[in-house]
Amino acid sequence: MTTASLPAAAAATTPERRRRGARGPVNSSPPVTRRAQTRLGLILVAPVMILTVVFFVFPLANALYYSVVDFDGIDPNPSFVGLANFQEMFLDPEVWHALGNNLIWIVIGTAAPLVIGLLVSVLLWTTRAGTSPYRVIFFLPYVLPGVAIGIVWGWIYDPVSGWLNQALTVVGLGDLARGWLGDPNLALYAVLATAVWASTGFVIVILLSALRNVDIELVDAARIDGANPAQRLWYVILPQIMPVFLMVLTLTLVGGFSVFDIIFIMTGGGPAGATNTIGTYAYSQAFELSRIGYGTTLALLITVLSVPVAVFLNRLQRRLSLDGSGA
Amino acid sequence: MANTTLGSTPKRRTDARTTRPDDRPSAPPLPTLRKPKPQVGRHVLLAVLALFTLFPVLLVVSTTLKTPEDVRVNPFGFFSTISLQNIVDAWTVGRFSDYLLNSILLTVPSTILVVAFSTMAGYTFARLPFRGRTAMFYLVVLGLLVPFFTYMIPLYFQLRSMGLLDTLLGAVLLLTSGGLSFGTFFMRAFFSDLPVELEQAARVDGASELQIFLRVMLPLARSGMGALTVFTFLGNWNNFLIPLLYLPGGDFRPLTSGLYMFTGGRSLDIGPLAAGTLITILPIIVLFIVLQRQVTQGFLSGAVKG
Repeated sequence: MTTASLPAAAAATTPERRRRGARGPVNSSPPVTRRAQTRLGLILVAPVMILTVVFFVFPLANALYYSVVDFDGIDPNPSFVGLANFQEMFLDPEVWHALGNNLIWIVIGTAAPLVIGLLVSVLLWTTRAGTSPYRVIFFLPYVLPGVAIGIVWGWIYDPVSGWLNQALTVVGLGDLARGWLGDPNLALYAVLATAVWASTGFVIVILLSALRNVDIELVDAARIDGANPAQRLWYVILPQIMPVFLMVLTLTLVGGFSVFDIIFIMTGGGPAGATNTIGTYAYSQAFELSRIGYGTTLALLITVLSVPVAVFLNRLQRRLSLDGSGA
Repeated sequence: MANTTLGSTPKRRTDARTTRPDDRPSAPPLPTLRKPKPQVGRHVLLAVLALFTLFPVLLVVSTTLKTPEDVRVNPFGFFSTISLQNIVDAWTVGRFSDYLLNSILLTVPSTILVVAFSTMAGYTFARLPFRGRTAMFYLVVLGLLVPFFTYMIPLYFQLRSMGLLDTLLGAVLLLTSGGLSFGTFFMRAFFSDLPVELEQAARVDGASELQIFLRVMLPLARSGMGALTVFTFLGNWNNFLIPLLYLPGGDFRPLTSGLYMFTGGRSLDIGPLAAGTLITILPIIVLFIVLQRQVTQGFLSGAVKG
């Protein structure tokens, strides 16, 4: 709208230009300014580039190298083994088991916080008064360190005197009491429940901010037309917050691929590998069995799987936010 | 209280809002034509959810305050008599005073470096065009996509060969470089939103590029830097793997890995363990409550702008 009066400024900040990776302010500066900008720019990015190359690019390149050698962590000249690590990876049943756990983690660990977060944020949004303390409370787990969360939930799940089993006994469901983290069939879901507890607050806070932009008149119109609350949520509210919803989906999904801390702390991948994901399996291969090459190959697998998904979802989210008037 | 304004006159219908007054939670709700509904059920539901959310924290507090005998008899129940013995034990015998100091020594310098370097690079990527800039930016933000454990193993051997394993400098540098991807990404988005006219006006007035950055842009970026400071601090304080893997000797162990080691060694000492957990999370909870607006707003702008 104001493009006509302020061409340079408006063009410089439109999302379209940013999406194409456009180079900042429209190029109207004289060569002298250009040179001065280049010189200052190189000085200002130097610390970030140096640290990124030394502590990210270099070890990542080294990871590629480790994946084609048989390295025990000591031998200064590890032997080249070609694709043997990759071959072993595809034939290792524990890898497929761990990938399956990753998949369960990704699906439930993404769906549950999003669904619960959506319902709670809509509940907060439609509650008229006194909701601000709840936002603080729900967000709190998200800022707590994973170690503390893992330890306390370990007490809650304790087989003998843990809170969960005591509570089940009190309400007459004592038969359901068990060692939650020690049962191979349940341990993964018990840890997953803890992760959902810890991450839902983040979804609530982000979705609440998106809900501020929802057009209430559309919701009221749908109500007058006879839409029930579920229909209003699905057909009227959700489409309006879709870009932000997809952004949260991307963040939790990528987090699901790289899950490590909470499983490592609560079960270490046990009992008997039941909660292994690629992350914990790679860690135990590398640091416990000194199979650095194989462990690194496993860790690379997650990057190879997660980066395309993240890029795809990010594209989708941006397309939606540009099409609609949303976020 | 909400229901008192609901018997509004029909003409107020035109005031029907398009957005909720969420940023002013204490303000009285605007009138609507909606049928007045009691919201008691909602508040009960929210209170139950809040209790569920807070329960683990309450469990830590109550276990900490128990006497050692009480813990032995009833390890996971609530306290009957209040005792500070567990806190004293964790602080002195459990070395949590050292861990707290180490957490500060690791977190404060790394947070300052992340914010300073990210601001410099973010400004460059938003405002100072030069050849190769886009490629550099993508290289930096690639760090957001690659999980840390993909390169944590090679990093261990690299650090060892650099002589930085088990040193404060090494851990601070790793915490710093770990925060740069997000920090740069965040500050770039922040600087991109500032109006170009300011820069142009300063240039017309004869300011050098450095003066534009330091005198014009930096003061405007204060709120962005504040938000980045808060959540870089949170992230580095809570970081678990970097101290665990790269400070194996234990001399510089911070609260997170110290707490983890404490569980392995003396798993039956629930009382001091609870106290150690409380010492670990208390600074975070206090910081969060004091700065809750900045924390949530910061996470929001960081996430939504991406």
